[in-house]
Amino acid sequence: MSYTMFSAFEFKRKDTYIHKLDPRTKMFMTIVFMTVALLFTTIIPLLITFIITLIPILLAKSVEEWLNSLKGTTILLVFILVINSFIRDLNFALAMILRLIVLITAFSAFFLTTHPDDLAQALIQMKVPFDFAFALSMATRYVPTLAREAQTIMDAQMSRGLELQKGGLTQKIRNLIPLIIPLIVNSVRRALSIAESLESRAFGAIKKRTYLYQLKLKKNDFIFIIFLTLYLLLMIYIKIYSPLASWMEWKFPL
Amino acid sequence: MSLIKIKNLSFTYANAEEPAIKNINLTIDKGEFVLLTGPSGCGKTTLCRCLNGLIPHFFTGEMQGDVIIDGLNTREHPVYKLAQKVGLVFQDPENQLVSLNVEKELAFAPENLGLPREEIRKRVEEALQLLKIEHLRYKAPYELSGGEQQRVAIASVLTLKPKILVLDEPTSNLDPKGAEQVLKTIKVLNEKLNVTIILIEHRLDLILPYTTRVILMDQGEIVLDSSPEKAFCSNIPEKIGVDVPVSVKLYNELSKTGVKFNKVPLCAKDAAKLLAEVLK
Amino acid sequence: MIEVINVWFTYPNGTIALRGISLRIRDGESVAIMGENGAGKTTLVKHFNGLLKPEKGVVLVDGINTKETSVAKLARKVGLVFQNSDHQLFSTTVEDEVKFALKNLGFSSEEIKERVDWVLKFLDLERYRERSPLSLSGGERKRVALASVLCVKPKILILDEPTIGQDARQKRKLGELLKKYQEEKNTVIVVTHDVEFASKYFNRIVVMARGKIIADGPPNKVLTNPTILEESSLSPPQVTVLSREIAKKINNFPKDIVLFGELLNEIIARIRR
Repeated sequence: MSYTMFSAFEFKRKDTYIHKLDPRTKMFMTIVFMTVALLFTTIIPLLITFIITLIPILLAKSVEEWLNSLKGTTILLVFILVINSFIRDLNFALAMILRLIVLITAFSAFFLTTHPDDLAQALIQMKVPFDFAFALSMATRYVPTLAREAQTIMDAQMSRGLELQKGGLTQKIRNLIPLIIPLIVNSVRRALSIAESLESRAFGAIKKRTYLYQLKLKKNDFIFIIFLTLYLLLMIYIKIYSPLASWMEWKFPL
Repeated sequence: MSLIKIKNLSFTYANAEEPAIKNINLTIDKGEFVLLTGPSGCGKTTLCRCLNGLIPHFFTGEMQGDVIIDGLNTREHPVYKLAQKVGLVFQDPENQLVSLNVEKELAFAPENLGLPREEIRKRVEEALQLLKIEHLRYKAPYELSGGEQQRVAIASVLTLKPKILVLDEPTSNLDPKGAEQVLKTIKVLNEKLNVTIILIEHRLDLILPYTTRVILMDQGEIVLDSSPEKAFCSNIPEKIGVDVPVSVKLYNELSKTGVKFNKVPLCAKDAAKLLAEVLK
Repeated sequence: MIEVINVWFTYPNGTIALRGISLRIRDGESVAIMGENGAGKTTLVKHFNGLLKPEKGVVLVDGINTKETSVAKLARKVGLVFQNSDHQLFSTTVEDEVKFALKNLGFSSEEIKERVDWVLKFLDLERYRERSPLSLSGGERKRVALASVLCVKPKILILDEPTIGQDARQKRKLGELLKKYQEEKNTVIVVTHDVEFASKYFNRIVVMARGKIIADGPPNKVLTNPTILEESSLSPPQVTVLSREIAKKINNFPKDIVLFGELLNEIIARIRR
């Protein structure tokens, strides 16, 4: 099924310290990890950054899911490796790969452990308008549905003898019409039907909506935020004021 | 006063040539359990949409006549007002469950109304208990069976505290066990909360014993409105292409051969009992 | 003939959908595959036309291993109609919709014309020939989707949940059409929850639960067996429910009648006695 690629970054419910953190804390965490990754351009510091970024993944017991999301980006990683080793050198290329892995890891640490509904709630509490946050959470809700639908349409048309790989370029593009039209028609029908049901549940009744849940930063969140802040400050300090020890500048002798 | 009053209602969708429903006159009282059925395209769904104001507010077209719900004329009141009187449940649960967590799904409607948090909590808990879905509280739609999904969809409109529940083919996507669960739930709501039920359903055998009234539609019009016994003993279901439940069919066929039960059986148990009397 | 020999199948997300299925469907049979959602019914029929290939085991269609051929090649023999017709329809006219498969499979233009005429007549769609499929009602769209597969005249016709959203009259019409097609020496297979439909129009019921076949036989043996029904979350046909209730009250009354006509005859015979 083609939606395995979507499931890589998909939330999985687990009962861990990281899963229980406030989405805003985790948002901060991702930003800190990304910033630190962008501070350095050599292998050793990035390797250290990577190991630190891995801590929340380990705490969240989500190593397998994290590896899956990495797997999904293998082609991109190889591409960057090749391009960079041609235009610069292998050392730089490796550093860039490491940096990208840190970015992906930081992202998956957020999305693998944050319920999409909680993310929407966090956005709302950060004063993002409800309509926008709701649209976002609806999108995450319906991505797997849409992917499944696309797969079914493909199966249905293949059963009628459609061969996607057949013909030249123009033929190949024409082969997509029997897939795209049903997908659009169905999405429109579904959207209408969802709108009808939302309307019937008083959607948009008043401007100032209330919420059953209210996210609150807890003690653990504050502890985590303090650690993250210290980490960020330390890294910035090292970057600006203290020249890196020589072993930190180690490179592959080429 | 009647809970639902429909006077000379006709509706033609924008872009359509023919009216989808015409000359509908209907009154329904509190606590009734109405089975609404008829062949596909007979206008059942359009009629449902008129009950909570989706027509004329959401679907545009030409509407004649009036629909009065608990004293409110649907022309003059927005859908969110009417939705607190009439809960609408649709066929496909996938398109009704928009959250990734049951509790949130149930809170969605009262949140939209801007109710205080304690009140929302109270309504959510009540609905969870009433429909016996407390164990599903934190589940996502894709973790539920079809029957569970549809019960969550029902609960998600119940938190608006409607007096009327309209269900448009709620079981047609479900397997037999799921359908049974949903139909039982509907019966409980009717009995315990005295909620007025308007149910569109093809599985007549399962639901007929609970119904107090049957309305048959064909080509946009109401062609019969009577007790279930009378409805299925007439020749109208046959004529418009609606199946007759097996126990009533048996009664009809035996009548033709001269064997008469002293009442019309609405379920297998009754039919068996009546037959045993005849055979003694 | 379809031969399924000890087939296992696992989806990429780890769900084991089929656990050692063995099944033989001969030419000209009419088979209903039943069971609750998630039992593996749709996964199984997707193996019949090669959309899915077994992870372990073999599927042979007329002796051809589905692993060694393409879906397009099998499409001449095996037609699969999906549950939601909107997943198939995309053309501007009903005629074009029907032509799609015929063109893909390389039929000559005379053959295409002949088959289009035949299928539109067979399914009573002639008056919609020039209409857009999307402008038709749900029931009619379902018939067009059927036409778009049936036009190939596949020896094996498979339909996934064909009765969902259909009213009583449409179901009867569909049942009769399928019967007629089967009587022309074709195999008809449906995947369905609809016990009433299955018991009326199909001679063989295959019941699946958790990726296995748990029963296989004629409707009056399978759909009347409480253990099988319980295990597969199915309900007995209403006629059977009634015959069971009567059997509780009246000695020696058969408990396993599935057809209304039989039930009525049995009762009338007893009244006359």
